[in-house]
Amino acid sequence: MTDAKTDYAAADDVGEGERQALEALLFRLADDEYVVAERYIEWQIYAPSLESDLALANIAQDEFGHARLWYDLLQEFGRSEEEVLWERDSADFRHSTLVELPFEDGDWADVVVRSYLYDTAERLRLEALANSSYAPIRDRVGKVLSEERYHREHAGNWLERLARKGEHGDETSHRKLEAATERLLPHALSLFEAGPHEADIVEYGFRTRTLEDLREEWLDIVVSFMEGLDLAVPDPDEVERPEEIGRDGSHTDDWFDLYDDFTHTYRELDFEEPIKLRAQGPKEKGAAK
Amino acid sequence: MIWEVFRQEEPGDYHKHCGNVHAPDRDMAKMFAQIQHGRRMKTHSLWVVPQDEVGEVDDQDTAFGGTTDKAYRWATTYNRVDASFAKEVADSEAEQRAAEKKREASSQ
Repeated sequence: MTDAKTDYAAADDVGEGERQALEALLFRLADDEYVVAERYIEWQIYAPSLESDLALANIAQDEFGHARLWYDLLQEFGRSEEEVLWERDSADFRHSTLVELPFEDGDWADVVVRSYLYDTAERLRLEALANSSYAPIRDRVGKVLSEERYHREHAGNWLERLARKGEHGDETSHRKLEAATERLLPHALSLFEAGPHEADIVEYGFRTRTLEDLREEWLDIVVSFMEGLDLAVPDPDEVERPEEIGRDGSHTDDWFDLYDDFTHTYRELDFEEPIKLRAQGPKEKGAAK
Repeated sequence: MIWEVFRQEEPGDYHKHCGNVHAPDRDMAKMFAQIQHGRRMKTHSLWVVPQDEVGEVDDQDTAFGGTTDKAYRWATTYNRVDASFAKEVADSEAEQRAAEKKREASSQ
């Protein structure tokens, strides 16, 4: 076995092929985090209680922060913030269709199931980046993972309580979770769809596991946990998959509406450059800049 | 169900009451309290306590400290030494002087 991968310390150390693979990987990560947060904040003031409102808002803030970490790395390849986000063509976004779907009106079960499916996948993929051959990715993983623990706890706690009929959950909450699962699972599978340069991402050691491998472990975890709560989970090999898979730039119509919404103020204000509130805040703890 | 929340800033400090959260059980209360009461303030530890489990006695129920003059309780009454040689003693005396003043002011 001669499997020693080259280690890349910084953006300047990579060639053209590596750069393309890294950009593809980073766009997947950044876009997922950004778009999932965009959808979460639609719950502001509408969540079932003040406490759940704050918790979800806090999770959304975390995800925006993680998106920032990955978009920042993309900027190290010479792209501006406008180019990686605000002025990028909506058809170039690489997030999974799971995160772009609008919520069914007032359906908290959708938030619970969506974040459970997403955050479980998020942990697996971050762990597969912990030993990335690209040092700037490695350096950021620990920081992100430590916030993700809360996200999984949050989703898992809600899921357990709404699924079990009795003290907190009932027939209705159980049924709503199943309906959300049926609706979301086909889209969640696109989390593990290949996009551009997937073979290179693994070949160069930027991610240390294949998507098939991650998908298999993810399914083991989520199917056994949800079935353990007596929730019916559709057979992932049997479900009808949407045509759009997100990872290749194909998206549901709802994405293009969401894109218009979140870029609306940016276009309207027409600043010379995007405003970065983060830069004015207190210095962050931890290794990554 | 309401859970009263107590925050401790540094190890060894008292947990001080800082508000409450609505939550159906202890785990959810701990989860919500982290965000609601530990997110912006320096926090080393949080306690969540079911509101029903908090026992209360207030000044309607009792006369705290009694109703007759017990000035002899105040160690400051006997104080003829400069306590600055020991920080704990000086702090304690300052605390007692402040408490004595507050008590006098409220009884007038």
